[in-house]
Amino acid sequence: MIEKTRYIPDGKKERKNQPVIHYLEAEYLYFPTTDLRCPAGESCVVDGQYVKVGELIGTRQGGFFEQPIHSTVSGYIVGSEKKVHSSGQTVDCVIVQNDKKYVLYENCVSRTEEEIDALTKEDYIKIIKDSGLSGLGGSGFPTYIKLETKHPIHTVVGNGVECEPHLISDYKLILERANRIVEGLTYAMRATGAKKGIIAVKKKYPELYEVLENARQSFTHFDIEIKRVGNHYPAGWELDTIKSATGIKVPQGKLPAEYGVTVFNVATLYGFYRAVKRRMPITERFFSISGDGIKSPKNFQVRIGTPVRDLIALAGGYTETDKNKVLICGGPMMGNALQSDDIVVTKTATSLIILDEEVIPTEPCIHCASCVYSCPVDLQPVQIMNAYKERDKDAINALGVNKCIECGLCSFTCPSKIHLTETMRQAKRFIKK
Amino acid sequence: MNYAKQTSPYIRKETSVKRMMFDVLIALLPLVVFAVYRFGMDALVRIILSAVIFVGVDVVAALLKVKVHPSVKDKKERFKLRWKTLTINHVSAPLVSSVIFAMIIPSTLPIYVLIVGALFGSIIAKAFFGGLGSNIFNPAAVARVVIGLSFVTAFNYVGIDVTSSATPLAAVNDSLASIPAMLESYSLKDLFLGNIPGSMGEISSILIILGGLYMFIRKAADFRVTVSMILSFTVIMFVATLTVKPIVDNGQIIETVLYQVLSGGLLFGAVFMVTDPVTSPVTKPGRWIYGLVVGAIVAAIRLFGALPEGVVFAILLGNIFVPLIDYYKWSKNKYSWKFILGYVVSLSVVSLIVLLALGGIK
Ligand code: SF4
Ligand code: SF4
Repeated sequence: MIEKTRYIPDGKKERKNQPVIHYLEAEYLYFPTTDLRCPAGESCVVDGQYVKVGELIGTRQGGFFEQPIHSTVSGYIVGSEKKVHSSGQTVDCVIVQNDKKYVLYENCVSRTEEEIDALTKEDYIKIIKDSGLSGLGGSGFPTYIKLETKHPIHTVVGNGVECEPHLISDYKLILERANRIVEGLTYAMRATGAKKGIIAVKKKYPELYEVLENARQSFTHFDIEIKRVGNHYPAGWELDTIKSATGIKVPQGKLPAEYGVTVFNVATLYGFYRAVKRRMPITERFFSISGDGIKSPKNFQVRIGTPVRDLIALAGGYTETDKNKVLICGGPMMGNALQSDDIVVTKTATSLIILDEEVIPTEPCIHCASCVYSCPVDLQPVQIMNAYKERDKDAINALGVNKCIECGLCSFTCPSKIHLTETMRQAKRFIKK
Repeated sequence: MNYAKQTSPYIRKETSVKRMMFDVLIALLPLVVFAVYRFGMDALVRIILSAVIFVGVDVVAALLKVKVHPSVKDKKERFKLRWKTLTINHVSAPLVSSVIFAMIIPSTLPIYVLIVGALFGSIIAKAFFGGLGSNIFNPAAVARVVIGLSFVTAFNYVGIDVTSSATPLAAVNDSLASIPAMLESYSLKDLFLGNIPGSMGEISSILIILGGLYMFIRKAADFRVTVSMILSFTVIMFVATLTVKPIVDNGQIIETVLYQVLSGGLLFGAVFMVTDPVTSPVTKPGRWIYGLVVGAIVAAIRLFGALPEGVVFAILLGNIFVPLIDYYKWSKNKYSWKFILGYVVSLSVVSLIVLLALGGIK
């Protein structure tokens, strides 16, 4: 229809009332030594070595940063194997055989309040770096790099919006760990020197606001605000969250830090708590399996490194149809389609959606402009598509295709079911050539 | 079981071109019923014939467009493969064009003239451009303009009392001053209800407005073009009226302007024709500009020209501007102060020219 589409059915209602299964029975856990951001990596353990929960087992190396890898269970190292990463790449993984005792690594002892009070900015950066914390909202960007910014930060925004439909990871985390998230926020504020902290959640989940507001009461010596932001999509997009939480408009292409703001996903804030207070890396996360291709959709709380095939089995396996399955890691708007279910739960993996393949026929574009009206970054997808068809580099550039955040709204809204988002990606690649 | 290769997003909104087209048809339905009620069999025959031609041509064009692999030799097989590519849009979209075309012709139009028009609209204006979504001119408008130019004498309008006369508008072409007199034979209420001579679907303002509201609520059409077109037309007509002394003296300005808006297919064109998304620009400001252009052209034709089918002409002329409005170097979907200022200034300048051309305020 000829209108701006802002709201998409979010399917969370069904998901969020389901219980969470705490799964600790995995025989083997897999830890990728490389990923999209870090093309190189190595393990620092040898086969047969005994490791404990929270012990360092390797390092991933990116262009200008590195990320330690920690074991999330105790047990023996039993070699390595190739697995599929949630991004779709095949990566090498260190395998730990789980002895199911969950013995904690000796170094993982809590810090006292005095110790924390004495921490300097440099200490924080080191702690966060050593904990391997990265953007758990899905970006996977190393958190310590964000802390190293030269720009003065006045506000830390905690992003609990999770605007993709079907995902409930952050939702459950806030419900269960509100206190620690707020505590994590106070550490993030101390680490950055920010005076103000804001946690943004969707308006339509008053329960999240409640728990966070309650948690906030225990930290009254910090200026923390729980903000209820819009229910639209993509309200969880970093720049959108900043705008609705602080009113600051950060133009695309600029770093929020230049405007004195920095954003962390709520799961990352929880990671702050774990690293600073408990000297622990993130070891667990919420992970859901849903979609019409799976027998009984379920929510899990699992150790990072758990093979997803275990969870698929727990969810009753695939529905027996002759249809092809679409395997989506992430949300239905922006997730990655995988060609194999041989994946492991990583820090940034939020959910697996399994759909029966449905081929949607496309019709000719009728210039209705719904895609133009709906684009959150004010692009004109239909014009970019036409320019791409003409292979007109100048026009594609002038129409600003590089601003596209691949949110998927244009494809979602198109009455002709044209796959505009994919065309945007192709156009981006085309002008790079 | 295999894993399908797909890319995000994996979910789609439940909208379709089909629904949009059917919404337009629903909006047109009261007009069709009214036309049949007013003009009886004459209207029914013409509507059906128009539909058959438009849909028929669209289907044939679609079948011919399909490229069947040369390895398929059997004629029947080839036809089957082609047939499979047809969708409901090959019926619904031309149906919309056909009904719109039928609504802008008089019920007495000779059948052969109608056939010529419909063929022109469906073949030249649409099929040659590549079918649904690819045409740059409104097919119904092309059809109407072609026969309007070629068969001038074929246009006779049937009124309730008058059996044959010009449309109310044609009678006032030369002089705005005669509108108050016209208003004596056809009141504003008649214009609203459709008690006037005219084309089949253009006469009942109230049904057009209702249909329009339905479309706008269902988001099957963009209100921006309609509002902008009526706005610019009204402003220019208002200014023009100020130049006619008797009207100003008698305080009949509002009535005169309203008369202009309600007569001569302006509303029908503004609601059902300029809103055709295929031939509209794709940005919000663009659609405002497009409405302004078409509205101004209609006003100019009415004031300075002698064409009874001013609205369809204006729409075709407006269509020419669409690629220009959409040109990538300046098309933006954001309203800016520059745009608002540009809109107001353009409208003022056009109004001023009209004012001066008509000899200034009396
Ligand atoms: S995918 Fe890109 S072009 Fe499409 S709506 Fe999102 S940002 Fe705009
Ligand atoms: S691409 Fe789709 S949404 Fe965009 S104008 Fe065309 S039909 Fe409308």
